[in-house]
Amino acid sequence: MIKLKNLERSYPLAKEKFFYVLRDINLEVEEGDFVSIMGPSGAGKSTLLHILGMHDHGWRGEYFLGGAGVHHLKPKERATLRNEQIGFVFQQYHLLDDLTVYENLDIPLSYRHYKKSERAAMVADMLDRFQIVGKKDLYPSQLSGGQQQLVGVARAIIAEPKLLLADEPTGNLHSSQGEEIMELFRKLNEQGMTIVQVTHSEKNASYGKRVIQLRDGWIVKGEQ
Amino acid sequence: MKDLKFAFRKLRQSPAFTSIAVFTLALGIGLNTTIFSLINDLFLRGLPFKEPSRIVHLDNGDKARDLVDVGISAPRYQLYRDGQTIFDGFAAENFFAFTLTGLGDPVQIFGGRLTSNYFDVLGVRPILGRNFLPEEEESADVALVTKNFWQERLGGDPNVIGRSITLDGTPHTIVGVLPNMPATWFGANPIAEVWTTKPFQIPGFSYEAIMRGAFFLRAVGRLKPGVTVQQARTVLPSLEQSYRAQYPNQIDSALVTTLRSLPEDVTRNFRAGFATLFAAVSFVLLIACSNVANLLLVRFSGRRREIALRIAIGASRTSVVRLFVTESLVVSVIAGAGGAFVAWHLVPLVPGMASKFLPLEAGTATSLSIPVLLFAIGLSILTGLLMGIYPALQSSHADLVDGLKEGGRGTSGSVRQQRFRKILVGAQVALSVMLLVGAALLITSFIRLSQQNIGFRSQNLWTGAVTLPTSQYPDPPSRQRFVEQTLHELRSVPGLESATISGDIPLVGFSRYLYARGDRDVPPVEKRAIAPGHEIAPGYFKTWGVPLLAGREFNEHDTADGQKVCLISQTGAKEVYPGENPIGKTLLVNLVQWEIIGIVGDVRSVRVAEAPGMEFYRPWAQHNFPFVNITVRSNLKVDAVTKLVQSALTKVNPGLAIAVPQTMDAVVARALGQARLMMWLLGIFAGVALLLASIGIYGAVAYTVEQRTGEIGVRMALGAQTRDVLRLVVNQGMKPVVIGLGIGIISAFALGRLIASQLFEVSAYNPALLGGATFLLAATALFACLLPARRAAMVDPVQALHTE
Repeated sequence: MIKLKNLERSYPLAKEKFFYVLRDINLEVEEGDFVSIMGPSGAGKSTLLHILGMHDHGWRGEYFLGGAGVHHLKPKERATLRNEQIGFVFQQYHLLDDLTVYENLDIPLSYRHYKKSERAAMVADMLDRFQIVGKKDLYPSQLSGGQQQLVGVARAIIAEPKLLLADEPTGNLHSSQGEEIMELFRKLNEQGMTIVQVTHSEKNASYGKRVIQLRDGWIVKGEQ
Repeated sequence: MKDLKFAFRKLRQSPAFTSIAVFTLALGIGLNTTIFSLINDLFLRGLPFKEPSRIVHLDNGDKARDLVDVGISAPRYQLYRDGQTIFDGFAAENFFAFTLTGLGDPVQIFGGRLTSNYFDVLGVRPILGRNFLPEEEESADVALVTKNFWQERLGGDPNVIGRSITLDGTPHTIVGVLPNMPATWFGANPIAEVWTTKPFQIPGFSYEAIMRGAFFLRAVGRLKPGVTVQQARTVLPSLEQSYRAQYPNQIDSALVTTLRSLPEDVTRNFRAGFATLFAAVSFVLLIACSNVANLLLVRFSGRRREIALRIAIGASRTSVVRLFVTESLVVSVIAGAGGAFVAWHLVPLVPGMASKFLPLEAGTATSLSIPVLLFAIGLSILTGLLMGIYPALQSSHADLVDGLKEGGRGTSGSVRQQRFRKILVGAQVALSVMLLVGAALLITSFIRLSQQNIGFRSQNLWTGAVTLPTSQYPDPPSRQRFVEQTLHELRSVPGLESATISGDIPLVGFSRYLYARGDRDVPPVEKRAIAPGHEIAPGYFKTWGVPLLAGREFNEHDTADGQKVCLISQTGAKEVYPGENPIGKTLLVNLVQWEIIGIVGDVRSVRVAEAPGMEFYRPWAQHNFPFVNITVRSNLKVDAVTKLVQSALTKVNPGLAIAVPQTMDAVVARALGQARLMMWLLGIFAGVALLLASIGIYGAVAYTVEQRTGEIGVRMALGAQTRDVLRLVVNQGMKPVVIGLGIGIISAFALGRLIASQLFEVSAYNPALLGGATFLLAATALFACLLPARRAAMVDPVQALHTE
């Protein structure tokens, strides 16, 4: 599903020097895989995840997603591909404070131009599936961290992406809440969703099928 | 003191905020102070008379015949004076121009002929000498002069009392020197300098003609203590009744007397205009205040962490509020000083700009008065308090833990703050719509007014007035000889294309006469129509560029002894002789039949805005007064023409002087002056309002974008594309704008009444102008939203998420 060839990400320093965050990344992720990216802080894990999520465009190399050469695509085409294929879960949940749970779930659908009636059905289905119907009118500040991340995951998968990217999804959660989220990821993966997560936790990594180790921008383990 | 130091430091750290806030507020305060100074000069300074509210002005009018404030006749004045019981004193003035000789070149000076008690009724005490005595009223050649006259024309002569000056060829003894008189009552253009007695005599008018009810006096009365203006008005009908009973066939029998207090009287023509200006400038200040309030709210709510930190280390909420109020007060005090500075420079410009059409003396009010300065300072402090208190209270209620946790995390403030900010933006927009609509209406009105066909060619037309001394020109034949000689001299001067003489000139002064068709039963005097009449010498229509439409002009055969003839205006012909040819018919004026020999084009002789009506012209040879206006067409400059005309006049009579030499372009410009001033001022205010509202909207949206960078990043990470972000920001930014536009349009409708009286041929509810102003503001607001929206659309989601 994902193929990265010689991917690099750097930031300019003074006098034509560059600081490399990612170097010569070659990586393949099959459909239905569940990959955990690990490594110390500053290794480039989140940068890699944001490149996969097409939030970051300042990289060099080749990136194929579902057969499409992302490196050839224009920004608008990338945005369309991203909206079709990818869902993203953040460590800080990033729910929109001014919107209710229902409206937070509705947001990604509205950006994908679903009709209002379709959106209503999909949101209702997701609320039901995650058993948060009773919380649909609450604001994020009225939810616990675990509940907020549950909504965050629901929001990430509501548009039925093939690939779910998660940046330390349990980093801000209590351990039992974290387990709940990871169990949810396992179920999603079992249902066929490809997942790539960044984590510091060996335990969370154990929910996945394989681990990629990054250090100083290089893949030191798990490269294909 | 620590708060003050901290406030200054904080303001220095954000020069953009400080500059915008100070500039915005200074502009609002400066404009307000300027207009307030003008209003102070016109309305609040008060007349320098003793208890001016006890002095009333009596005037005459007749609504049915469209006659307003035409003056009081001598017999009516005398009857009122003898029959009234409500006044301590009752006096009258007859405006007059004198030719002063014997003090260098002859000059025309202005003033009036008064009843002896005139200045006693006004409560004006001479600074030297005395006022007139009752026994001087009818026959004595005595004069009162102003301090300026005394100092400038008589060199401040300490022996001025008893000194003689020659007015219209007659020596007059100066009996008193008065303080300079206010332009608001005596007029600014020209300034009144000299007064004499004999108020019921007009050169050229016989005693009988005056006593038939010719109205020319300005009557004033000092109310007895305890008598109100209202009570005085109730007495008028019985006085009017007595007059009609005693003089049933007078020219002015049917006129109705009005009575107003002097302070009301001198300002009533400007009240509507200045109410509009005052409202407009207040709107500008409100917009400026709401703008700065918005900026402060944004600034303070962006400092939630600082507040939380201060409270966490022991600061009370009161001290936080005090800190923020101090900061906003510092802004407003600096802005107040800036505003006073702006006003300091603008105020002196006002008299120069407005003195031609407002009763202001150029050269006065050149500095800020203390009350106005205090007003500006008070306004700035009040503004600072109001602006500081709410945002400070709001921000000081920040949740401590949230605030500390938040750190740099973006927030657009509490729901209440957001609502308050939206209300501020909406209010700015609503006020701006009203100002823009007002300005658009006045601009359209002015354009229509200035496009009116005034009926004559004002370009290259010079005019000056001359008063003929009755001692030298006692009768119509002598005055006819003067005109013949003067025109003869003028026509031989190279550089003068053509020349003429008339009793009056358009848009400056005119006489009205009762008239009736001579071929029908003559209606009683009170039913007779009234129209402006002009006495003109040959060459008048050619010089003025007024077309002869039918019949013939006056010629040398139209002499004093010949058939009395006249010309009438085109509209007059249509109105008085509908469907008929008036030529050959007669018009009854002054009990004499005048044969109509021609029809000429309409001239706006009364006001530019007054639709043309019946006017008639009579030959100077057959009807004239000792007041003449010389008009010449020449492409030379005013001063050059004045010299040429003066030298021609000197050849005829070296004792005559030209008064008020000016071009007709200047006269026309002055006639449109108040409308132009209103248009400019409201236009400037509307422009400032638009600028401030744009800054306000831009500031509010830009701040929201800055605060919501993280949220925008999340939205982009969730799939939002450029257009989604643009739509989000513009939608949210424009929501209060749209509500403000709606409220503004409704309010503009409601305020239409205020401005309607100042409009010419344009409705206060003109949909195109309302729509245009709304569109302009909406477009500006959209542009102000789009700038930060574009920035939002360019947010890098990765960076934004990191910020989060």
